Amino acid sequence: MAFDEETIDVLIGGYLSKDAAMEDYESVLECGGYLHGAVVVTKSLEGELEVQQTDHMVREGAAGLGAVGFVVGLFAPPLLAATVVGAALGAGLGKLAHHRVADKLEEQAGATIPIGGAGLIVAYPHSAADTVEPAVTRAITRAVGEAEGHHVQALKGAIADAQAKLAQSQP
Amino acid sequence: MNEPDRSKLPIRRNAFGGAAARTLQGCEPDWALIDHVHPPVGAPNVLVVLIDDAGFGNPSTFGGPIDTPNFTRMAEGGVRYNRFHVTALCSPTRAALLTGRNSHTVGFGSVGEFSNGFPGYTAVLPRDCAPLPRVLRDNGYSTAAFGKWHLTPDGQQGPAGPFDRWPNGWGFDYFYGFLGGGASQWDPCLAENQKIIGTDPAFYDEDNPYYLPDAMADKTIQWLHGVRAQDATKPFFAYFSTGCSHAPHHVADSWAAKYKGRFDQGWDRMREEVFARQQQLGVVPPEAELTPRHEAFPAWDDVPEPLKAFYARQMEVYAGFSENADYNVGRVIDAIDELGELDNTLIFWIWGDNGASMEGSPTGTFNELTMQNGIPLTDEMQLQLVERYGGLEAWGGDMMDPHYSAAWAWAGNTPFQWGKQVGSHLGGTRNPMVVHWPDRITDAGGLRSQFTHVTDLAPTILDSCGIPAPDEVDGIEQEPLHGATFADSFTDAAARELHTQQYFESVGNRAMYKDGWWLAMRTERIPWVLTPAALQPYAPGVWNPDDDPTELYYLPDDFSQAHDLAAQNPEKVEELRELFWAEAEKYKVLPLLATLGVFFGIAPPLPEVSTFEFRGDVENVLAGMVPRIYNHSYTISADLVIPDGGAEGVIVAEADHLGGFSLYVDGGRLIHTYSMMGVFLFRQQSDVPLPTGEVTVRMEFAADAAKPATGGQVTLFVNDQPVGGGRMEHTVPIRFSGYAGMDIGRDNGGVVDLSYADRKPFAFTGTIKKVVFDVKPHLALEDEHAVHLAAQHGQALHAINA
Repeated sequence: MAFDEETIDVLIGGYLSKDAAMEDYESVLECGGYLHGAVVVTKSLEGELEVQQTDHMVREGAAGLGAVGFVVGLFAPPLLAATVVGAALGAGLGKLAHHRVADKLEEQAGATIPIGGAGLIVAYPHSAADTVEPAVTRAITRAVGEAEGHHVQALKGAIADAQAKLAQSQP
Repeated sequence: MNEPDRSKLPIRRNAFGGAAARTLQGCEPDWALIDHVHPPVGAPNVLVVLIDDAGFGNPSTFGGPIDTPNFTRMAEGGVRYNRFHVTALCSPTRAALLTGRNSHTVGFGSVGEFSNGFPGYTAVLPRDCAPLPRVLRDNGYSTAAFGKWHLTPDGQQGPAGPFDRWPNGWGFDYFYGFLGGGASQWDPCLAENQKIIGTDPAFYDEDNPYYLPDAMADKTIQWLHGVRAQDATKPFFAYFSTGCSHAPHHVADSWAAKYKGRFDQGWDRMREEVFARQQQLGVVPPEAELTPRHEAFPAWDDVPEPLKAFYARQMEVYAGFSENADYNVGRVIDAIDELGELDNTLIFWIWGDNGASMEGSPTGTFNELTMQNGIPLTDEMQLQLVERYGGLEAWGGDMMDPHYSAAWAWAGNTPFQWGKQVGSHLGGTRNPMVVHWPDRITDAGGLRSQFTHVTDLAPTILDSCGIPAPDEVDGIEQEPLHGATFADSFTDAAARELHTQQYFESVGNRAMYKDGWWLAMRTERIPWVLTPAALQPYAPGVWNPDDDPTELYYLPDDFSQAHDLAAQNPEKVEELRELFWAEAEKYKVLPLLATLGVFFGIAPPLPEVSTFEFRGDVENVLAGMVPRIYNHSYTISADLVIPDGGAEGVIVAEADHLGGFSLYVDGGRLIHTYSMMGVFLFRQQSDVPLPTGEVTVRMEFAADAAKPATGGQVTLFVNDQPVGGGRMEHTVPIRFSGYAGMDIGRDNGGVVDLSYADRKPFAFTGTIKKVVFDVKPHLALEDEHAVHLAAQHGQALHAINA
């Protein structure tokens, strides 16, 4: 691995309630592991979208992260609500990663996050996995993706990997 | 007055005893002609109280953890029966109770929702089995029923009847309650006599909301007062059949809060505590043993620690719900006492029409219909859905239709094995009963241990009233009663046991009792599991019932069925097995598993009607009668008149946010919301506002495939132009609701889309000329058959869990 390359993990968790997602989100923030970022996206029963996030990635100035694409709905519609929410999470991370596309991503999340559902995305260095991942205890469905490369490249790869794993886990 | 011939009903009017000529000159009237039939002198009032889906070990009166002070009050002034038996299902017990005959004989081998073409399972009362209320009414009683009915076929619960299958047709002068197997206690779709009256307006009063158990007691007391205001002496027969403690478990939090922390020890420890109290009270003999836990129920110690509060809350609400039922029965009893008639009122109070219900599956559920629709949810998923709808504190409120874990039900049936649906064991079939009649019972607080059965109630009531079972009703010769009176035991603890032999059968689980011996023949299917793998062993040509495992118990020595004696007594096993077959033949039990026939290809004919038209004022179409859009492509279209300035409100809505759909207008846009049992929620909205004037709107669902729960594409149209749409990945395969109704022009009761909950019932402000459902058949007949069969599977699943 080149000196400026790294390994990033992305954990995607899907939830049937905001409470559960927020519980894991708080737990991740308090776990003590280094985070590139964390975002939780929820949609109320009335259809209102809410996004909460840490600002680590913004702080790191990851220009161009919007290009990650945050592939909402790129894989076939899942059969379980839990994987639906998992699929939706790219939208929230997209907002987090690149404010220029925030409106579009929020719109995508609004269209994809199921009513009453919630999701969590956490990005962290692979070296923090043993600390971060045990903090996520309530996800109905979860997948961890991993990729190496320059910061943006690794993040994109890890998200894609996590989403692919979610898709594979569909019954 | 001459005692009339009561053997033939209706009782014939006496011949004119006066004199009549061409003019009034010398004539003498016979005033008896305008009198009505009187019961025998001294006939008591009768009150039958039937609690729903509850176990032997639930009420504190029998050692349980649920405080039942009124049940205890009646026991201390009357007698407890600790060997009283029911069938293991709702409708069969009710049919047997109200006819004095075995349930299969009167067409109720299964429940009212599941009416099929075998004589023992029609859910239609034969005319040669006139029911008790009819007999009492024709003998001069005022009769009324309150609460749960569950004896009318599913598709016959609307204005077209036929009403001989409704409570009035069974002989009740008055009925207030619900026709199905369960009901929301907050917004039930009610029936009064022969009309579906829907949700009570008090539901919309947030300060003083409607609650069915309270209303049942109110209505009963009002009815008693009305009868007495007219006639000071006419005896009454009141049948008070609570929706409690059937799911959904609904009760105000103040009742559940009384039990906070009282179930934190879990179900295993709770059983031990209950068993000890039962023995202290003497309702379970000292030599009895507590039966062990079957592996189908998880050990409390294996429940993950974070989920224990979730499980404990389930039982806290169930307990509060049950105690509230006791409270409301107590109000009715107090009202009778206030009339000065308690001493001459014969009260039977049965705590459970079957054992406690295990239909919540091991996890319990926020919405009991999820299980019936085959949606598998883990306990963590259940907990998150509980959180979605308000959290643990909201369990019991109107945002959920909850059912507790099967393990709580099993513990509620302490000291027995199993529970509801399991007719082979006492957990499903033995329930507490108290009889109270101060004018007759002198051994107040006594215990009775005669083997008694629900078919004995009608003979005992008639015996106590001095009324014979009629030989003929409406010119039709009557089937003799199958039960036997146990009235002698009111005054004699050692009265001879008259009910010496009884078969039991529920969903293939069966037993044969004779002279203390009990042969149990349980199918090995777990009651809440109806997967193909679980059913395959019971397919025609595969299943030989005589190969089922047998257990033999001698109940006089083994109260709880803890010692299987089958291996030591093969001749007794064989004798009872043969006796069961003979009884099954005699009482129309055969074919076994008729209830599940649809799982083996025996389905009713394909429906011929696919278009359903509703005018704009149709409301409260009961759950079993909504157009069966499940698993099909379909359209819902509506002809509207939108006034200048626009309109808003519901065009058509079925059920509520826990399963249902709503087509409505809000903010000028056409919106369709679909709730897949509260787990998945889909909403589509038009891109453009509705025009004014005459407007046709349409929602089209194009199913992906001919399969249960198919996904598909929704398209919204206004005046035949597409204006929006979206995907629905999953649809309801079986049934939106067990109890909520469908309305045109409004969304009565709990609403489908919570975005307009603050405006409920969100009545349409324009004009709805008509709403038309068009259910598209699948192109291939084999697909249509396959989907039809799947729907029937689901209907059967719903039915046996109702």
